[in-house]
Amino acid sequence: MSNSTLRAVFSDWRVVLMTILVAFSLISIYFVPLSFNQGVTGNLQLGLDLEGGAWIQLGFNSEVVRFDTDRDASSFAADLGGRLDAEVLLVDEDRLEIRKYYTQEELEAAFEEAGGTVVAYERGVSESTADDIKRILEDKINSLGTRDAKVNTLSGMSGVTKYIRIELAGADIATAQDVVGQQGKFEIRIQTSGNATEHVLFGDAITSVSTPSREPGSNLWGVGFTLNDEGAQAFRNAALTYGAVDNPEAHELVMLLDDNIVYSAPLSPNLAGDLRVSTVRSLSASTGVGDEGLKEAKNLEIHLRAGALPVDVFIAGSGYVPAALGEHFKTMSILAGIIALLAVGVVVYYRYREPLIVLPMIGTNIAEIVILLGIARFIQQLDLAAIAGIIAVLGTGIDQLVIITDEVLYEGGIPSPNLYQKRFLRALGIIVVAASTTVIAMLPLALMDLSSLRGFAIVTILGVLIGVFITRPAYGKVIMALLSR
Amino acid sequence: MGFFTYDISKYPPAHMVALPIVLLGLSLIFLSFNTLTTGLPVDPGIDFAGGVGVTVFTPDSKEGIEEYFAGFPLLSVGESINDGKYLVFEQLDEEQFRALTARIEERYPDAGIDQIGETFGKTLQSQALLALLFSFAGMSVVVFVAFRTVIPSIAVVLSAFSDIVITAAFMNVLGISLTLGTTAALLMLIGYSVDSDILLTSKLLKRKGKLDEKLEGAFRTGVIMTTTTLTAVAAMFVVSSIGQIIIIRDISVVLLIGLVVDLMNTWMLNSGLLKWYLTASKGGVK
Repeated sequence: MSNSTLRAVFSDWRVVLMTILVAFSLISIYFVPLSFNQGVTGNLQLGLDLEGGAWIQLGFNSEVVRFDTDRDASSFAADLGGRLDAEVLLVDEDRLEIRKYYTQEELEAAFEEAGGTVVAYERGVSESTADDIKRILEDKINSLGTRDAKVNTLSGMSGVTKYIRIELAGADIATAQDVVGQQGKFEIRIQTSGNATEHVLFGDAITSVSTPSREPGSNLWGVGFTLNDEGAQAFRNAALTYGAVDNPEAHELVMLLDDNIVYSAPLSPNLAGDLRVSTVRSLSASTGVGDEGLKEAKNLEIHLRAGALPVDVFIAGSGYVPAALGEHFKTMSILAGIIALLAVGVVVYYRYREPLIVLPMIGTNIAEIVILLGIARFIQQLDLAAIAGIIAVLGTGIDQLVIITDEVLYEGGIPSPNLYQKRFLRALGIIVVAASTTVIAMLPLALMDLSSLRGFAIVTILGVLIGVFITRPAYGKVIMALLSR
Repeated sequence: MGFFTYDISKYPPAHMVALPIVLLGLSLIFLSFNTLTTGLPVDPGIDFAGGVGVTVFTPDSKEGIEEYFAGFPLLSVGESINDGKYLVFEQLDEEQFRALTARIEERYPDAGIDQIGETFGKTLQSQALLALLFSFAGMSVVVFVAFRTVIPSIAVVLSAFSDIVITAAFMNVLGISLTLGTTAALLMLIGYSVDSDILLTSKLLKRKGKLDEKLEGAFRTGVIMTTTTLTAVAAMFVVSSIGQIIIIRDISVVLLIGLVVDLMNTWMLNSGLLKWYLTASKGGVK
């Protein structure tokens, strides 16, 4: 290739940009950070189905209801809670979270009895409850010692969280099931002397745990919880026996989850006085003031529940790919990509029989895929569906290069620069329309949460955009420069 | 390409559209019949109906596998070359599913498992339907905006619609169920299939020159376009079948059918309609 041809090729900004992007992509995949030990896939984020691991998706036996009533919202909620025998929380002025599963019809009847109407019904939990659940699950996952875990909430457009998805890289399906199934062991002990403590009660004595609240008129946060009769009796006996009612400071109450101390504090003077007289079932553990106090209170709430979730969940879906199978899928995917590229190369060669067309065509296609991967590395995990998207991009990519080629080389001849420009723009017109339809067709998938298809849609859209704006126009310039040599 | 003898400029429009229209009609009848009898136009796979799919490589025979999972609701055992097996179980409750995973783990520790619950499947199903509708509507809008003439735009949209309907009918005949993968493929088909329709319409509407020549030029380019795509998809199909990558295999099989259907719809239905529109609008009725 002569110098002047080279100069002609690189005088177009898109060719320059394409070259820079390819370099940038290769660098980001392999060099920043250095990743030679990770094989051909470098720094690409791989999905569970390529990396191996387990996932589990949970749905909630609870619903968020938008309602309308003439009554005071909080007393309406309390009334409804009694009727439904369920925890009913006010999410905001006109939305309730009902922590038990009811059909819309059942709720409509109950709302009517309580003097209100159901405006909108959606199965799921409010965002704040979803965050709580997420934290509890993350806590549990940490205690299971899983190295690489992700917990994501999936919310609809209304802001109601419908599902929560847990991905555990390298774990098997039993581990994933344990995260949901197993509960921790919660215990309250009382300090006898020095560091020694005595057992008071276990978590099964706790009948309910409320959400963090402030003591009336103060900034002091705390978590209320209720004991059953035996628990209350045991609590009073311990306080009397070890002298906590007389000297609270020396006999702190210690709470443990799975034998780790999660909270420790003395009895308050009030409580000590009450316990002298009778058993107390309703207790509150205060955690401190301000944001710090609230944070502590939230953690304590989780611990008091001993890892039990505030809302009943069910397994909506789950899956497992063993590492060996993931590795096999990975090899096969790379193979599929290479074979597709070669096969396409053969077909276009059969059509044009001109290496100066076919090589840039295949080169452009490779560049497109490399740039796509380079960008995807930052924004999108690659799973099997996303790989299908990449191969699809390869297919459309070649399609559009064929349009450009046929358009520019119309009737076999090499056009003059002016004519070339006209035909080139015409070809780009067709390509842009065709690409818009693909982008539009994929958009719903990219915006929706159809779990595994999101990556596919995002990759396809990204690939089409890179192609239309950068690589395919660059190809047009390249073949022109090469052919008019 | 030489081995193809379809002389696109030779046939009158009515002959060109006859076959696609008949196929579209038959497919619509077929899909409606299915909807009436089963509630859905196509057979839903585990992604939409709920169930468990297991991917495993084992030399065990189908009968051996059926026997091993005797206590479980095993629906089907798909076999491919290379000892790949794909087992589908009916929807199970949590306890049964745990038992099933333990049973799988015991004999096939390297098996991949996918489980979708019924409610989640329902959610996916309604979302997939919405996605299809929105895609199709969005595509139609782009086409109308791009061409700003009613009949050619309708021809493109009709041919894309026909692609999806006929492909769905073929899926039924071949026993391919609707999964997330095949839904994706149908959506991709919306994007893919209009590529060649747009090429055709742009060339015929916006260029000067003799209609037959333009049509032949578009046909030459369009066929090579679809052929390259078909080649890429065929490669994807072969590798994913051997490698037992179910989701990619599903996507590629539906795309293969869809692209072939699209060749027919673009070069018979869409071209036929356009040819009729262009000759009639110029007053040159033969």
